[in-house]
Amino acid sequence: MMRVPAAVFALVMGAIPLGVAPIKPVAIGVGVGLVLAAVGIAGLWRWPVLAAACLLLTDYTAALWTARAPVNIGGAVTFGLALLLLLQSVELARGLRGTRVEARLVRSQIAAWSGFATATLGVTLLGLALAGGLAAAIPFAAAPFVAALAALGVVLALTAIVSGRPRV
Amino acid sequence: MTGRVTPLGLALLTVAAWALSLAVLSARPELLIVILPLAVALATLARPRRAPEYALTCELSADRVFEDDGVRVTIAIAARSALPVVVVLGPLPRDVALASGQPRAATSLGPGQTATFSYDVRCPVRGVHDFGTIVVHVRDRWGVRAWEGRHPRARPLRVYPRIAPLRSLPQPRRTQTSVGDYVSRALGAGIEPGDIRQFAPGDAIRQVNWRASLRLGTLYVTQHHREHNADVVLMLDTLAQVGPAHATTLDWGVRAAASLATAYLARKDRVGLINCGGTIDWVRPGSGRVQYERLADTLLRATVVFTYVQKNLAFVPPRVLPSQALVIAITPLLDPRFTRTALDLAARGFDLVVIVVSPVDVVRATLPASALNDLAGRFWALDRRAQLDEFRRHGIPVLEWNPSEPLEGALAGFGRRRFNQQGGPVAGPPIPPDARDAPAEPGSIDQHRGPSHGPPIPPDARGAPAEPGRPSTPLGAAR
Repeated sequence: MMRVPAAVFALVMGAIPLGVAPIKPVAIGVGVGLVLAAVGIAGLWRWPVLAAACLLLTDYTAALWTARAPVNIGGAVTFGLALLLLLQSVELARGLRGTRVEARLVRSQIAAWSGFATATLGVTLLGLALAGGLAAAIPFAAAPFVAALAALGVVLALTAIVSGRPRV
Repeated sequence: MTGRVTPLGLALLTVAAWALSLAVLSARPELLIVILPLAVALATLARPRRAPEYALTCELSADRVFEDDGVRVTIAIAARSALPVVVVLGPLPRDVALASGQPRAATSLGPGQTATFSYDVRCPVRGVHDFGTIVVHVRDRWGVRAWEGRHPRARPLRVYPRIAPLRSLPQPRRTQTSVGDYVSRALGAGIEPGDIRQFAPGDAIRQVNWRASLRLGTLYVTQHHREHNADVVLMLDTLAQVGPAHATTLDWGVRAAASLATAYLARKDRVGLINCGGTIDWVRPGSGRVQYERLADTLLRATVVFTYVQKNLAFVPPRVLPSQALVIAITPLLDPRFTRTALDLAARGFDLVVIVVSPVDVVRATLPASALNDLAGRFWALDRRAQLDEFRRHGIPVLEWNPSEPLEGALAGFGRRRFNQQGGPVAGPPIPPDARDAPAEPGSIDQHRGPSHGPPIPPDARGAPAEPGRPSTPLGAAR
């Protein structure tokens, strides 16, 4: 049962790059990504799903870069949420394999995902508003270096959180 | 409980790092937005969280059942703190089959909430099965942190061998002094009328035979036969077994021993048990419900223990093997050591009966029908017939039992043959006329009162014949 939402999230992730740039190279990338996702979802294997997520993300980047379209916040938020929920639902499906799932678990999970989507949209809008103010303060020539350093800092911070001792 | 970051956390980190790299390279802000949900989910790991708290109970609908009976396992979990995703793995021992439901259940609980789930299992294999350890997995809402707890607690389920109701049993030649169901030749207290004699001082008035007294003009009293019990020792051969798993000759022998023990205990006999194998284990003869429990518990543990060491009955204390006892040896006759032991017992004057669980039929039931298998089976059967004839030459009564047929049927014909061979009556008047005045031998028996007042026989065992061999692996462990 948990495979159905995972498949839906994978399809959403495939549809968004095609919506941005409906061209053959993007379609091929989406096709390969969806095949990988299908294999991972069918066998409940982590690594095909992770590879599919990375491939579809690359495909989305390529589509954005090729189309040079204006910033679409809705599409990006949807893609990000679909990416997160795809990985979560596959992990959940693995954990619940051969298990009797009670209805209240399904209800609470749907409610949590909906709340998280709303919160993410709000945080994104807030973040964009703050970023607009910050962008004016950064010199144009230094912007790529600042962006790279910030990205590195975020990755290091997240790594520290994940690899640190579990706070339990 | 032990907590850890799940593989999902590492996957999210990998994807986030890849997305950040792509964002910097492509200079597209959408990719930063894509990362945001992932980063928020990972950031929840930075928040310290206490291990989840809950109370767990597990109950079995019965802690003692017979083979093939069902048991319902009910597990309840009461959350003291929030359990966003909790998976409970109920116990399912190796030799227990799931009948319905699932031993794994997942739910979501808030503080103070309780969830209960249950599943049914079937116990096809005798023994003590441990329903002890319950495993609980708890995940946080985003699946990036998980806790696992194991909750071991001794929760044994005893599965006793199935009992077949038996009415015809091998009759003991000698009885003991305690009260039982066997009508003895000796006169004394009892309800079976024996002889009449003239009244003597000390006789009770209620013993006066008024009809004879009126006819003969003087007082006569009716004498009664004493009713005694007997000692029965079941000797189970645990030296070797053949057959498919859970339907080996030993399993059938254990079922036969349990059925015989139940039937003899119902007749108020004292029943003992000797597991004669690599290790010798015994239960002293006794009677009553408690004795049945002792015998059943010992039969649960009966298994083949391979050893080269020659075991013999010298290890068995005399009070476990009383000289007046009827010894019923239950064996597939696969190991010559048991044959020697049985012949030794007969030579020492024990009243011995050998019930042979036919290994030929047990093995043939698992093999496909082919000319070669048929020929091998016939050769084996001929060889075994010669083996049984050796017992018969020594005057030992032998009953060969095919487990696909009810034990009751085999015992019924056997009881008649045995008494006919010994010249003893099976039914009819208890005492031959010429023996009435002879001094009664303390231990001799005339007849049995008949099947009676049973011990607790399980409802599903009543009228249920012994089950034929179940198909499984072609050959079980041999020797």
